[in-house]
Amino acid sequence: MRLLIIATASLYSIALAVTVIFGLWIVEIGLYSLLLGGLGVAFLLSRKIRMYFRWHGVRYGIITAIYVLIRLSILGLSKLESFYRQITLATMPVQLLMVSLNAVIFVYMYLTFMRGGFSKLSSKLQIHGEQVNVKWSDVIGMENTKAEAREVVELIKDRARVKLIGGKILRGILMIGPPGCGKTYLAKAIATEAGLPFISMSGSEFVEIFVGVGAARVRALFKKARELAYGHGGCIVFIDELDAIARKRVFSVFGGTEETNSTQNQLLAEMDGLQEREDKSGEAKIEQNVIVIGATNAPEETLDRALMRPGRFDRKLYVELPNLEDREKLFAFYLGKTKYDPSIDMSRLARKAVYKSPADIENIVKEAALIATRDRREVIRLDDISEAMERIDLGLKHKLSMSPREKEKTAYHEAGHLIALYILHPTDDVFKASIIPRRSTLGVVHHQPREEVFTFDKQRLLADIKADLAGYVAEKIKFGTTSSGVAMDFKDAMTRAHNMVWKWGMGDKGLLGDYTAIPESQLSEKLKEELNAETNRIFERCVKEVEELLTKERALLDRFAKELMEKEELDYDEIDAIFKEYGKFGIQKSV
Amino acid sequence: MILRIGVIFLAGIFLVFSFYGCDSCGWGPTYPKEKLEESIVRICKNEYKIDVKVHTVGKTIAIYLPLENLIDFSFALTKDASEKINNVILSVSRVVLSTDAKIDFYCIIAHDIRIPEIQVIIIKSVDDVKRLLLNDISRGEYGKRILIDMRMNPQSQKERSVKEIFHRMRLDPQWQEQVMNDFFRSDPTMLGDIGYWEGRFYVKDITKPEFLAEQMASRLKIDFKENKDLSDNFFLKSVKGAYLEKGSERYFSLEVFAEPRWFEDLESSSLTDKLLQAILNIAAHVMHVYKFEDFNYIEINERRSSRMVRISKGMLEDYRKKKIKFDEIVR
Repeated sequence: MRLLIIATASLYSIALAVTVIFGLWIVEIGLYSLLLGGLGVAFLLSRKIRMYFRWHGVRYGIITAIYVLIRLSILGLSKLESFYRQITLATMPVQLLMVSLNAVIFVYMYLTFMRGGFSKLSSKLQIHGEQVNVKWSDVIGMENTKAEAREVVELIKDRARVKLIGGKILRGILMIGPPGCGKTYLAKAIATEAGLPFISMSGSEFVEIFVGVGAARVRALFKKARELAYGHGGCIVFIDELDAIARKRVFSVFGGTEETNSTQNQLLAEMDGLQEREDKSGEAKIEQNVIVIGATNAPEETLDRALMRPGRFDRKLYVELPNLEDREKLFAFYLGKTKYDPSIDMSRLARKAVYKSPADIENIVKEAALIATRDRREVIRLDDISEAMERIDLGLKHKLSMSPREKEKTAYHEAGHLIALYILHPTDDVFKASIIPRRSTLGVVHHQPREEVFTFDKQRLLADIKADLAGYVAEKIKFGTTSSGVAMDFKDAMTRAHNMVWKWGMGDKGLLGDYTAIPESQLSEKLKEELNAETNRIFERCVKEVEELLTKERALLDRFAKELMEKEELDYDEIDAIFKEYGKFGIQKSV
Repeated sequence: MILRIGVIFLAGIFLVFSFYGCDSCGWGPTYPKEKLEESIVRICKNEYKIDVKVHTVGKTIAIYLPLENLIDFSFALTKDASEKINNVILSVSRVVLSTDAKIDFYCIIAHDIRIPEIQVIIIKSVDDVKRLLLNDISRGEYGKRILIDMRMNPQSQKERSVKEIFHRMRLDPQWQEQVMNDFFRSDPTMLGDIGYWEGRFYVKDITKPEFLAEQMASRLKIDFKENKDLSDNFFLKSVKGAYLEKGSERYFSLEVFAEPRWFEDLESSSLTDKLLQAILNIAAHVMHVYKFEDFNYIEINERRSSRMVRISKGMLEDYRKKKIKFDEIVR
């Protein structure tokens, strides 16, 4: 009997405790609002309280009901004669168990089948802007993009100014750019600077095996965002990897893409003006101040056009790979978080890291730190960073026992590439030559331009082809025969030569235009023969020129092959010194 | 922080008062033993407008219920009397179930104020009432566990005889009462002597074995009404059950006197076996359902044929479990 009373009392206490906590919250809110005094703050607080009730009203209703029921039960029990009270209490645990079990089953079924339990969003999705804590100053480089983002933040914050000129608030911003360029980081900075709640989801989180779940999640996401906007004056929804739900819709009779379509349709509807609600003054309600930031590294043309139209993603921010200056800052930033040799020249690192994204640079520094730690050093040195770059770009070295003949062949092959690149290539520097097997290759000559190159001129393309073919030519000159190691070189060279003639009008016969744009069946055989003959001519001329070069520079070829066989790897400085020893300075590299 | 502590303190006080409120409503026994008799009287008076008298002896509580029309011309309980008796039973049940007093049995003594010599005695075990309410036993089984008897008041018979003697002795009336009190008015020793006569309860503290002995006799009477095989062949003249002690031995004694209905059956031993088997079945059942083990054997006396069967506790249990047959017991 006593135990039963204690059990009942415990239940009662729990209900009371919850009520007390709730009461505390209300009292605190009230006191804080009084202390803060300001009308605006009080207004926002009242909104927050209302929002809190919208979210938790049912919960507290249930708690109150439970409390009242328990209280009534206790009163009722106390009015019963003791024998009947004992019988009731004795059967209560079993009854509670059965009722609880029934309730659990019912609630599970209800949530699963009636309330779209699968579409429920994680409560951890919501973060307040202040908690994101990524400031503009933390976003390195991409000044143009940042400037646009700043403007967006101003517009988000200053709804009154937009309203004054009769404008409508921004609905969405689409960030397009290669992976690892800081799109998510920029979105976080926008949230921090705007000081608004930030809901982050990945596009893939909308994709589910069950039809309709994606759309339901979109609805749930926007419902939550509107509630947050109601309480905080606005909300930022960030959808990473937007392409997962924003690809061009396919209207197939088989219905295989229905789920993706319906998810996207819901996203369109939520972002569209149809969802807009206005208050009595005709102004869009504050809960409509929801800004969607989408990020994707998919090409813009692969995204659905409906999503790109104004009113949905009004602004497009193109996030590019960092330039030389930005890379320097990025190296300084990430190295600044570690202990590094102060003699490291950031500008040199930046030059070596052409086409590297901020994420790549972060990874390089992380890898360099691991290498330094492995070698039991406390500071990162330049060679750690170089090794880290090689590991990332070229892959890990692995032991492969090669015969001396094969090793010699590889050395001559790579020496051929090296000489051609150094002497003929207009933009690229050779940073490393190696005959240590990595990934699927037996050797490699690592080269890259000093600065980003966005277009390819004829000279560069021909130099690329020649550099590709130089391995083959070197093997032929030295051994009179060639190996299958030329496969990838030939493929690359042929592709370039083919594109030069078929697509870019770089042949010598004056055949201009992109012939790949026309269905091949519509091209005459004669024309195709001419195009192919022109491709072959380029290929053959390049082989001939490389043959002449390497025959002329035979001593250099033998020297590099010898050096490679001895040292297995040659760095930029060593390569440069040998060339200078032979009086070769290469051609003037251009950007 | 201080605010939180303050509110939690207030909540604690609220909690204490909440439970204080509950306690004042009564989490203890509804009818404490100090007010047991008073409670029964009050419930009967307030809820059913019935005046009763209550007397407690040990773990037995007796309720005297005077009625105006207890029985009709056919010696059956009148509807009004039945209703009032049921109401009193209900009131007593409520009280004995929700009290901290140790009450094992209760006894309703109803008599007609016009003919006080005739009384109806109803004896119930409190455990049986509990088990009925908890659906541990059926209503039919419960009905068989109640001892109901309508009989002449033994004390009235005794006093009538004594008064006749006083009359013949020409004893001074002022001495008659004193002599009666000193020599002829005492507490009963048997369940059959329980009653109420001239403002005095004649009640004993009922023990479980004597209740069971009476119940076995009562069940046999019921069997004689319900079992066609018995009623078609016998007239039940009398049946008595008693729990006796002889030295270190304790046993149940059941004395049955039943006449065969048909002359040709007078010498039939198989018919007597039938009767003995019925008694044995009842005894085995009662001992089992009450889990009563404080006895050595059961003695059954069949008065007409002067047959006596004595069955040990172990044999009785084996018979119930059908490990041994009736023939093996009576052989």
